[in-house]
Amino acid sequence: MALTKEEMLAMYEKMLLIREFEETVANVFSQGQIPGFVHLYVGEEAVAVGVCSNLGVKDYIASTHRGHGHGIARGASVNKMMAEIFGKIDGYCKGKGGSMHIADVELGFLGANGIVGAGLPLATGAAFANNYLKNNGVAVCFFGDGASNRATFHEALNLASIWKLPVVFVCENNMYGISMSQKVHQNITDVSDRATAYGIPGLTVDGNDLMAVYEASAEAVKRARAGEGPTLLECKTYRHRGHFEGDACVYRCEDELNQWKKKCPIERFAARLLEMSLAEQDELNVIKEQVKEQIKGALEFARQSPLPDVTELTKDVYCD
Amino acid sequence: MPSVGIISNPASGKDIRRLVAYATVFGNNEKVNLIKRVLLGLDALGVQRVYFMPEYFGFYHRVIESLSGQHRPALEARMLDMPIEANQSDSRRAAALMASVGVKCIITFGGDGTNRVVAQGAGEVPLLPISTGTNNVFPVMVEGTVAGLAAGLLATGAVRPEQALVRAKKLVIYINGRPVDSALVDAVVLTDQFIGSRAVWDTDKIKQVVVTRGATTNIGIASVAGGIRHISPEEPLGMEIVMGDADAPLQVKAAIGPGLIKKVPVTRHKLLESGQRVTVLEKPCVIALDGEREIQVNRGDRAEVELSLEGPFVVDIDRTLSTAAAGGAFLDKK
Amino acid sequence: MLEMTYAQAINAALREEMRRDSTVYILGEDVGVFGGCFGVTTGLLEEFGGQRVLDTPISETAIIGSAVGAAAAGLRPVPEIMFMDFMAVCLDEFFNQAAKMRYMFGGKAKVPVTLRTACGAGVGAAAQHSQSLEAWFTHMPGVKVVMPSTPADAKGLLVASIRDDNPVIFIEHKVLYGLSGEVPEGEYVIPLGKADIKRKGSDVTVVATAMMVHKALAAAQTLAGEGIEVEVVDPRTLSPLDKDTILASVAKTGRLVVVHEAVKNSGFGGEIAAIVAEEGFDYLDAPIMRIGAPFTPVPFSPPLETAYIPDENKIIAAIKEIL
Repeated sequence: MALTKEEMLAMYEKMLLIREFEETVANVFSQGQIPGFVHLYVGEEAVAVGVCSNLGVKDYIASTHRGHGHGIARGASVNKMMAEIFGKIDGYCKGKGGSMHIADVELGFLGANGIVGAGLPLATGAAFANNYLKNNGVAVCFFGDGASNRATFHEALNLASIWKLPVVFVCENNMYGISMSQKVHQNITDVSDRATAYGIPGLTVDGNDLMAVYEASAEAVKRARAGEGPTLLECKTYRHRGHFEGDACVYRCEDELNQWKKKCPIERFAARLLEMSLAEQDELNVIKEQVKEQIKGALEFARQSPLPDVTELTKDVYCD
Repeated sequence: MPSVGIISNPASGKDIRRLVAYATVFGNNEKVNLIKRVLLGLDALGVQRVYFMPEYFGFYHRVIESLSGQHRPALEARMLDMPIEANQSDSRRAAALMASVGVKCIITFGGDGTNRVVAQGAGEVPLLPISTGTNNVFPVMVEGTVAGLAAGLLATGAVRPEQALVRAKKLVIYINGRPVDSALVDAVVLTDQFIGSRAVWDTDKIKQVVVTRGATTNIGIASVAGGIRHISPEEPLGMEIVMGDADAPLQVKAAIGPGLIKKVPVTRHKLLESGQRVTVLEKPCVIALDGEREIQVNRGDRAEVELSLEGPFVVDIDRTLSTAAAGGAFLDKK
Repeated sequence: MLEMTYAQAINAALREEMRRDSTVYILGEDVGVFGGCFGVTTGLLEEFGGQRVLDTPISETAIIGSAVGAAAAGLRPVPEIMFMDFMAVCLDEFFNQAAKMRYMFGGKAKVPVTLRTACGAGVGAAAQHSQSLEAWFTHMPGVKVVMPSTPADAKGLLVASIRDDNPVIFIEHKVLYGLSGEVPEGEYVIPLGKADIKRKGSDVTVVATAMMVHKALAAAQTLAGEGIEVEVVDPRTLSPLDKDTILASVAKTGRLVVVHEAVKNSGFGGEIAAIVAEEGFDYLDAPIMRIGAPFTPVPFSPPLETAYIPDENKIIAAIKEIL
């Protein structure tokens, strides 16, 4: 399981790519260049990258309204993602989906989702399909602490457990369901406690520690592939930005945010790479520059892409 | 005023050993029940005050709220006034604060990892370690009511410390000559480069081990030592083991995790005496203390592990209760 | 031709499609060992095994949600929701996920789920087990809505539904399960979106669905004795709707009565009436009449339930009013 330097740097690059993408979206959103609303993943990068680094071509992920990070970690094109967020024809969904519906089924990305908790049964179904087709693929569902109060959570975990489906339920516990603190929205603090009720393993890791997430999800994925059934993996993390862009965040304090910023998953991983002499600062700087260029390119691609023609309005409702 | 400290680790019993082994899931609501029984045991023997460590789950509020009905204890429960960082330093600071307010005993709810940091803060204050963790060699599986009674006997003076306590050993970790950390049971040198998910389960990565005790009844790395030679918690000895590969002269079958029994190849081993230091051979490496990866050792560092007989004092529950019973502490003759 | 019941025809369609295509599987509450609440899936577990005929827990959300995920990942699930009323429990999975996935993803997803469910009053099942909720689904872009009235239609339309790459809700009327009729043997596919004229007539067009097709036919029979020739059109698929057949019939008769078992308010009959008003106004010689259940929940007590369900007499009365 030992990672090579190249693999570690690739994971570092992915986290940076997410961060740069999200900060760019925040920036252009604040300038009014993007319609609608966006939910950003800044601060939670280690979860998506740690988990998705364990996945192969047959595997699926189902994501959330905060889905940009999952898409990038799964290997989606930042150009097409950015174009989608701009509502352009070259976006993943020809501009018909927007931020909350970016998807690429071919890539094993069953989409972001506007309905909290909706991904849980979808991923369970994708895991069922992989199992049915005997292709050794698994499915991963990302969801938040808020979604763990939904019926979908209960029904999906129950079904996956009785059918021993190859699915990993990854709870990104960022401590808030929109404005409601976890302290008051559920009578537990570790969502992983709920695994016991379904007779499956549940565990909690530091979601801001890339290697902790990577190791835990590697084991959960291995377990799923071996036919041992689902796992509930809780990653404790925090969103640096509001629930959506423009959220005044009156429900949480600056101090709490600053504490979590100190635990930034990207800086932590970078520091470790340097300490262990796994990388030189120069190498990391080069990656940073490349990432900046890549996102600059994505922004340019999105801006250059045409808006959809209105004839698109009624297309793609049905398969022919 | 007889008082006792309660340190319950909300994160214990949830790590990756639920996946890589078959470790028990110990939900926090079950810990609440356990603490309630301990409190009622303490209360029955006249302990008047209990201090709780604050933490994110809120054991203090949950225990007190659910004991507000017909089984309401007479003792006063307080929560320590300290900031929560939601990491192991909380337990260390809480133990030090409890020691400073004069508790007679600190009851811990966690595993080896929890007790390791509590011991670092507790100083001379004895621990009564109740197992709610994963890799439990140091704490004991005990019914909470009984543990509460034992702590109550000690705290109220019904049993004297010399009758109730034993002293544990510990390992002190030195980096470049400076003591940086300590362990109660084992220090394990791994080829890992990251602390990651903390747990130790891949024996291929283990290069060197130092233990304060060893028994085949232990779960974890101490069972490797136990398979070679039994070392009791009281015996003034430790052991260093250097691992090898499949060709090593000795293969030790050991329960290195719950349900995880492996053949561990051993190149050499030797007994350690008090004050003896062992040099860490593998660098860079990660050193796991009491079952959790803790210290990252860089290539240029010098790392050493020393056996010390001056670990924390620990309440011997059987001895405390039997001493008390022999003295008539449970009798009320009319 | 084989004589079989509506339930047997559905069973035959499921069996043939499962034999033909290994990606077709069935899941739902009591569909396996029990053979389905109405016996529709009898014998399928024995033939196809537990990997393809899956009894699920009482978890409508997980049944539909997992079916949608599996469909997106390459299978052709045929989930059953025992009573249509229970769709309220899993509407999100069908409405916000299945129906929209293709559009939201810019045409790059396929969700070939055929959701079978039973509608209809008449068995004393009361307010939460008797409703006809097809209008909920005709209001959903991305979904096809099928409502067969005969054993032959049930078979041909179910085969077409399973082969369709879109999410389909296949609404079976529970009172029709025991109805016998002739069904073509072997491969039999009725294209979705094709209405069927169940009786030819020249005086008035009655568009009826599911159970009401039979009530309309009975009314037509009675009126034929009085010299009134009623044309009964069964759309069979409500979405997409075969407007052309309906408009052609109205062009011929000049009169339209629409009848369904669902409550009249905001029922699908309003949609048909509006289409004819918009596109066939010149054909009309009289106002369009709509017949549906009263705007109440479905009652339990037999006389109330009987009064609730539109019957032959109401259809006759409506026809006579506009003749």
